[in-house]
Amino acid sequence: MAETAAVQNVITKERSVSNPTRGNARAEGRKDPWSQLLERVGRHQDRSAYRELFEHFGPQIKYYALANGLSSHAEELVQEVFVSIWRRSSTYDWRKAAASTWIFTIARNQRIDMLRKMRRTSRETPVETEELWQIPGENENEPVTSLHRLMSERRVRDSLRHLPEDQITVIAKVYMEDKSHQSVADELGIPLGTVKSRVRLALNKLKVILQDSSA
Amino acid sequence: MTQHHPDTHTLMEYSAGNLSEPYALCIRLHLDQCAHCRSQVDTLDSLGAVMMESQPSADVNDDMFERILGRIDTETATDLEVHTEPKVRTAYSNALERMLESDINDLPWKRQLADVSVMDITHLFPDQHDRVVLQKLTAGGKALEHTHRGRETTLVLQGAFADNNGVFGQWDFVTLDNHDTHKPVALEGDDCITLSVLTAPLKLTGTFSRVLNPFIR
Ligand SMILES: [Zn+2]
Repeated sequence: MAETAAVQNVITKERSVSNPTRGNARAEGRKDPWSQLLERVGRHQDRSAYRELFEHFGPQIKYYALANGLSSHAEELVQEVFVSIWRRSSTYDWRKAAASTWIFTIARNQRIDMLRKMRRTSRETPVETEELWQIPGENENEPVTSLHRLMSERRVRDSLRHLPEDQITVIAKVYMEDKSHQSVADELGIPLGTVKSRVRLALNKLKVILQDSSA
Repeated sequence: MTQHHPDTHTLMEYSAGNLSEPYALCIRLHLDQCAHCRSQVDTLDSLGAVMMESQPSADVNDDMFERILGRIDTETATDLEVHTEPKVRTAYSNALERMLESDINDLPWKRQLADVSVMDITHLFPDQHDRVVLQKLTAGGKALEHTHRGRETTLVLQGAFADNNGVFGQWDFVTLDNHDTHKPVALEGDDCITLSVLTAPLKLTGTFSRVLNPFIR
C-alpha cells in the first residue's frame, strides 16, 4: 500500500535529516539541514544550496501538484514555487519555521493562487492569496520565537509513523488532494463523524490539539 | 481574549488550503488575534510539510532547474527589487478593511430594523457560492429570533453579543447550523459588528419573516 511506503519514506528521510548536525552547538542543533541550506540561499544567494533544495523538494511539490489535480500545470507549479522561494529567501528565519514547513506553505499558496487564476471570471482580484493564507514568519508583529514552533515539525515527523493507516489516509486526502472532511467521507463511503474522529485521534497523538481546545 | 475558537477540523482545512475564500478570511482575521489558534496552525502547517514529504515524489524534467535559474536571472536584472520591497501597508488594520477600503464603522450600512443594519459583501468574493454579509447590531440592541438553514459561520469584529449559547466578544468565532435558533442581543458599549459566511439563507421564525431580508441576525 502507498501508505506503508509513505511511512517508511518518512522514516528514511527523518534519519538523514537528524544525524548530520548532532555534534554542533546547541542553537545550530535545532536547525535542520534544509533550514541551513535555505538560509544560505537567503543570505548569500547560494545556488548550490538552492539546487540541493530543488532536488529534495522539487519532486515532492510536483507530486503535490499532481495529487491536487493540477496535472498539466504540475511543472509550472514547481517553477512558481521555486522562483517564490528564491525571492523570499531573504525573509526566511529558521526560528519561525522549519524550511520544509515554510516551503509547504509557499507550495500551498501558489497552488491556491494558480487555481484562483484558472477559475477567475473577472479581472479583479479583491484580495491577494497571502492576505488570507500567510507564510509563517512574514508577520512583523509576531514574536520572534517559540520553542513550540521549533519543535513542532520534528515532533510531528516522529509521531506520524506511529499512526494507524486509516488515520494517515484521511489526513493525506485533506492535505494532498484538496478535500474537505465531507468529501473525504463521501469518497471513502464512511460517515463524516468517522472522518472527524480519525482526524481527532491523529491530532491528539501528534499533540496538535492543545489541552483546552474546543475541538 | 477570545473565548470561542474555530474547531480543529476547520483549522486543518485552512492549513491544507481547502477552505473557500470567505471562510479563509474569517480564520485569518481570527488568527491575527489568537495566539492559541496560531500555534495550532503552525503545527498543522508542519503536518502538511511532513505529509508532502511522506508521499511518493514525481520526477521533474531534467532541464527544469536550468529554466528556473533562467527566470531568476531575468528577474534579478529587472524587477526583483520590486518584489523584495516591503509591501505598502495602508492605514487599514486587517485584510477585511483592506478589501473594503474602509473602516468597518464607516461603511454604507443598510438599516433593516431599528437596531439592525447589514451590508452584503458577497461581490468581493467572486467565483464561489457562499453569501458573505456584514451585520451591525446597535449597542444594547436586539435582533429578531431566527433559525438557520445550512451553516453560518460568524466572526465578531467589534463589540459583543449574547444569546442563549453565551457571550461572544471581539474575534470570537461562532458556527451555527440547522438546529440553532437564537435571538442575539448586543452588549452595551460598542455597536456589535460581525462578519458572517452563509452556506444557505437563514429563515426567520418570527412573524415578520415575509417582509425581511433573510440575512438578519
Ligand atoms: Zn482561536
